Amino acid sequence: MSTAEAGWKRTISDVNDGILVNTRRPHPAFYVALFLAAACLVLGAVLWVVQITLGMGMAGLNSPVYWGVYITNFVFWVGIGHAGTLISAILFLFRAKWRNSVNRSAEAMTIFAVMSAGLFPLIHVGRVWLAAYWMLPLPNTNNLWINFRSPLIWDVFAISTYLIVSLLFWYMGMVPDLASLRDRCRGFKRLVYGVMSFGWRGTARQWHHYETGYAFLAALATPLVLSVHSVVSWDFAMSIQPGWHTTIFPPYFVAGAILSGCAMVYTLLVPVRWMFNLQEFIRESHLDALLKLTLLTSTIVFYAYAVEFFIAWYSGNIYEQEIFAKRLSGPYAFYFWVMVFCNCLFPLAFWARRARAHVPTAFVICLLVNVGMWFERYNIIVSSLVEDFVPGSWGHYEPSWTEMIITLGSFGWFFFWFLIFCRYFPIVSLSELKLIMPPPLRGKSGGGSG
Amino acid sequence: MPQNQRYSLADDVCADVAASPETEKNTKAALGRRDFLKYFSAGVALASSSCVRRPAEHAIPYVDQPVDQVPGVATYYATTCSGCASGCGINVKTRAGRPVKIEGNPDHRSTGGALCPLGQAALQGLYHPERRPQPLVRRGDQLGEVSWDDVYLHLSSRLNTNKVGIFTGGTTGHRAEFLQEFLQKLGAPRENLYRYEPNLLYAHVADAHQRAFGRYVIPRCDFTAAELIVGIGSDFLDQGLARVAYAKNFSAARDLNREHPAQLVQLESTLSLTGARADERIVIAPGTEIDVALALAQALYRQPQAQGGVAERQKIAALLQQHQVALAPDLQQHIATLAVQLVQKPSVVLCGGSHTFDANAAALQQIAIAINILCGAYENALSVQRGWQIPPVGSDDLQRFSRDVAQLDVLFVIDSDPLFTLPAAFGWAEKIKNVKHVISMQAFPVATDSLATHVLPVHHFLEAWGDAQTHAGQWTTQQPVVRPLTDSRQAEDVLLWLLATVKKPLPYADYRSYLRQRWQAWHDLQGDGKDFAKFYHTTLTRGTFTHQKQQARRELRAFEVKVQQVPAGLKLTAPLDNRLHDGRGAHLPVLQEVGDSLTTIAWDTWVALSIKTAARLGLRRNDVLQLKTASGVLRAALFPLPGLHDDAVVVPRGNGHRHGFSKVTDGIGVDPLVVCAVAEGLPLTAALPVTLTRTGKTYRLAAMQKENKLGDRGDIVKSLSLAQLRQHQNKVRDLDAVPDLYPKLEEGEHRWGLSVDLHKCIGCSACMVACAQENNVPQVGRSQVAMGREMHWIRLDRYFSGDADKPRVTMQPMMCQQCNHAPCEAVCPVYATTHDAEGINAMTYNRCVGTRYCANACPYKVRRFNWWTHKWNVIDAKDYNRNPRALNPDVTVRTRGVMEKCNFCYQRIRDGKHQAKMAGRAVQDGEIKTACQETCPADAITFGNLLDAGSKITQQRRDYRAYLALGGYPDIKEYGLKTLPNVSYLAEVTLQEEGSDEHG
Repeated sequence: MSTAEAGWKRTISDVNDGILVNTRRPHPAFYVALFLAAACLVLGAVLWVVQITLGMGMAGLNSPVYWGVYITNFVFWVGIGHAGTLISAILFLFRAKWRNSVNRSAEAMTIFAVMSAGLFPLIHVGRVWLAAYWMLPLPNTNNLWINFRSPLIWDVFAISTYLIVSLLFWYMGMVPDLASLRDRCRGFKRLVYGVMSFGWRGTARQWHHYETGYAFLAALATPLVLSVHSVVSWDFAMSIQPGWHTTIFPPYFVAGAILSGCAMVYTLLVPVRWMFNLQEFIRESHLDALLKLTLLTSTIVFYAYAVEFFIAWYSGNIYEQEIFAKRLSGPYAFYFWVMVFCNCLFPLAFWARRARAHVPTAFVICLLVNVGMWFERYNIIVSSLVEDFVPGSWGHYEPSWTEMIITLGSFGWFFFWFLIFCRYFPIVSLSELKLIMPPPLRGKSGGGSG
Repeated sequence: MPQNQRYSLADDVCADVAASPETEKNTKAALGRRDFLKYFSAGVALASSSCVRRPAEHAIPYVDQPVDQVPGVATYYATTCSGCASGCGINVKTRAGRPVKIEGNPDHRSTGGALCPLGQAALQGLYHPERRPQPLVRRGDQLGEVSWDDVYLHLSSRLNTNKVGIFTGGTTGHRAEFLQEFLQKLGAPRENLYRYEPNLLYAHVADAHQRAFGRYVIPRCDFTAAELIVGIGSDFLDQGLARVAYAKNFSAARDLNREHPAQLVQLESTLSLTGARADERIVIAPGTEIDVALALAQALYRQPQAQGGVAERQKIAALLQQHQVALAPDLQQHIATLAVQLVQKPSVVLCGGSHTFDANAAALQQIAIAINILCGAYENALSVQRGWQIPPVGSDDLQRFSRDVAQLDVLFVIDSDPLFTLPAAFGWAEKIKNVKHVISMQAFPVATDSLATHVLPVHHFLEAWGDAQTHAGQWTTQQPVVRPLTDSRQAEDVLLWLLATVKKPLPYADYRSYLRQRWQAWHDLQGDGKDFAKFYHTTLTRGTFTHQKQQARRELRAFEVKVQQVPAGLKLTAPLDNRLHDGRGAHLPVLQEVGDSLTTIAWDTWVALSIKTAARLGLRRNDVLQLKTASGVLRAALFPLPGLHDDAVVVPRGNGHRHGFSKVTDGIGVDPLVVCAVAEGLPLTAALPVTLTRTGKTYRLAAMQKENKLGDRGDIVKSLSLAQLRQHQNKVRDLDAVPDLYPKLEEGEHRWGLSVDLHKCIGCSACMVACAQENNVPQVGRSQVAMGREMHWIRLDRYFSGDADKPRVTMQPMMCQQCNHAPCEAVCPVYATTHDAEGINAMTYNRCVGTRYCANACPYKVRRFNWWTHKWNVIDAKDYNRNPRALNPDVTVRTRGVMEKCNFCYQRIRDGKHQAKMAGRAVQDGEIKTACQETCPADAITFGNLLDAGSKITQQRRDYRAYLALGGYPDIKEYGLKTLPNVSYLAEVTLQEEGSDEHG
């Protein structure tokens, strides 16, 4: 699956030209997209300010549904953030070369997704002005400390670690490319890219350190792929709420995260590829590999759903049984069935090569997987909270406009950063691509990796 | 609350140190050039002096400290509640001269320290921002504000007539006598005092006894003397004659330590709280209460063991011969069985209540007398000698009023709202058209004010003097507990001053000295030799005294009963509301917010139909229906309620005040009295033929509870039969013996525990109101309740089980269970909720960031989140400008974004421990009471130290009936969630042998 396929005869400078096209002339659609993203972002931000000023009553939350769309979004974005590290770190360690065309954008997506995810606990809490620093272990004269037993504290550490490591990994991989950009720019841009590339000159010594460091970070990031979403799943699994309190959650969440991440990468790459004319670099075969990964995780998730129901029945616990019975046919059954169709049944189409090869079909299915994964979290959170132990406390939940617009705002926030990235940074890793270029330009031993 | 802390207002003691109400000057000066420049420069100075530190507020000590005031220490005053006519004794807790909480007076014999929701909420009435600041006089179509001097001047020229009448509510004590003296002084007949209580039961019972025995008495029932209580449409636990006293007494009668706990059998067409508590409930058609009573009387008469003297039996036989009733065979069978039981056991039969004020309501009371004679209740449970002295409101008062009113020139309406509380069909407004001067004297603006020529704000009962006689010989005194908050006057004082201005003075300086004279008169009569000044002082301090007076029962006269046949078909019943009464509580947000106990609907009026009827008509919950009777039409949304007769249509009274009554009630509910009828001068509010039509609209009723059934969740509410209990009675439970991986909790001096007896709870919701008042729990309004955002720290879960026609109703007060293994504590990221050394799950509001994880983790869902900053004076986005002085200064108010919940009234625990420490002793059992426990009329809540082996709470936790909610089934070694709550429940006990379906 290397780039050394028939008919691909490009020079290094062609690679530079082809990929860095985005830093010169954006497609008009880019500006439309950027404007839309910024508009959503501003709208969401304004409503957040209103919500901070007036209170959490702006959301549709109530007793007993104390968590709703905000936490759904949090889990959703964390999940999206998984594919990047999986593709860049794990596939790097496994030497899967197809990753070279998609890893940069996948990593960028990870960072922006985690940035979106990180906002939601803050949007969600009642007193964000205090939560922002009281959740951190900061020494203070009152001897007030955080509760290390609380999964929310683990979340703080898991997410912040993940963000830092992903950011380092992404940025470090980009340093040689930024240097290429620097070399092609003049004036102010040259200065900025120059600072950002830390004086990269491509010496053998620099390459040696770079590759050692990159491999090291890849190794460091790999366990995070598994840990972050496991920790997020503990937010639920550690509570005694029926529907949440199950041991299957960590693997189930990780598989779901990778499913949603891969689907999201696909959903992003298709338009980006078209917008910046990258068909030559991000090829059908790469997308095909991505869809296979999607199919794999989809079946794992399918299995997890089934096991969840089996265990609920097998446990003999009436509270657990009733929650799951109601998921099938209760007031929130619609969301459950959306989830089943989008996450389990539609991706089955990817068994067929034709479905994988037909970009519009695959695009729609990946979009549906994203919808399904959002509803999976919504379903887990809301349908478990609405009706739990004591019938006298049962309730009802509908998201308010504020919640929906802030959710839209988070997409605006995500796409805003992603579009900025597409405009100013190499979307495909130049240096890695050059490393695997066919022999005429690199010598007979080509095809190796860094 | 220790006895010695209470003070009286006798003579030398000044109650109040609170600032007198500010009177604002009316400055209407025109703005001149110099003034303009002054204001201009002041404005500039103000605008340029921003960013100045908020000035420090200093606590200034008293120069002359009043004898009864220590800053920070509460002072209690004993007085009398005038929320309804029962006249319960209350103790009012004041801080720095302002009342902050109302408690029942433990010295008041019949209520023993309990209080109902209406009494608890009276504080909100006192501080209500919509009380009138000054008198109003009608000028043309408008009521204009005037001063009191102008009122006297204005009225003095108009009182030179003897065509004067007074329309007022029913009160006991000396008030009626005083009002009659007033009328006499003006030359009007004493009969011109018209008294009307919307709770017509007083009038019906007293009238029946007047006819039967020739004495105007209301017998008092002592349930503890009965083993079987039968109610026929009775509502003695809802409203009845004296709900708190009866609930207290009923609870004692049901005590399971008695050999034969009293059993309650209720026959009713609607579902009342009384019926909900019944051991056996038989549903009968609306309007057939009289037939059932007659059938029971006949069945009893046939019993060889039936009681009653020969003469009495003859008269009863004569009565029964006139009326033959045909009932359904199975009902007849039920009645026959009941009759056998009634004569075998000590028993009593209570008939009628606000669910049965139909054309036969008066006749029903007469039959009740016959029934009680036959089952021997007058010799046993029913006491005429110590009967209720509840308002001598006669049914003829309204008839007399209708007859006389045309001749009146002046009509005083005192503390009564006839325009709202009488059916529209009564035509009160029409009747008073020719009265020249209608003087409305009210503590709170009411609908009647709109017809008045003069509207005079009078004292709230917490600002006024008075007295009441609850039952024969039991007096309670009423003294002001606060200096008047508005420019109001004592109603009686206004009358005295009016007499003075027309030069016909009564020889009393004010009502207080009038009362003092009256009390002196009893004191002299009693002749116990003590100094009166001392008696006066101790009586006011204690708030109650007994007076040896007995009423004699006389021989039964022949009595005739007229029975009207009620046609079959849907029939409307408009009972008094359990919280709002006849609407007098509607302006108190806390009462609106606690919601009805049976439907759990807050802030609304609903139409209840039986489940079957709703299904038959194809109607669903929240469908708006149009009800049409001979008198009018009303629209309200449907709530299908189990346990109703299929012909019953129930619309509760209390809401539907017209626009402008109060911001609290604006747009809330409908008033069923517009479709109620009047017969023989009396309102008919039950068994009115009605037709229903669907309007096609829906309206979402703000019901707090969504699910009404427990299903197979057997470890939330448990119940067992009396036989099971007797079998295992001596078994001792150890609820804390749960296998556990965690180390045992360290034990100090105290571990606080609370126990709720589900067998005793009657679902009156007094605990919810008391809790809200004690803990500054905000009211959030209709829209927020509909969203499930009510803030109650204690809620009343109500479950129906069994058949929808014959449901068993369970009430379960649910508050924070103070778990020893609290799921909420582990998940809080910032340690805002932690376990304290005494077993309380403490909440640190200041530390809370509002992740709401604790609330998710809580299996009981008793945590409450502040979705908004519940400003004390804003409810549902409407600004009420409420008085923050009504807040309890011992409890902090919470801001938005913070979680809160029950903490066992921590401030009370601290206070109790402090008192004990000051006295150098340990905290005694029963010394510390939580607010819910203190007010509970059914004695269902117990609080105390679980480490004290002798305490009542320890005994209750070891009782065979004790269980932990969601604690599984320890008998089969299943321990449920193992949250180990410090709150335990005592299982319900079914006293009925047959059909005892098992729960746990």
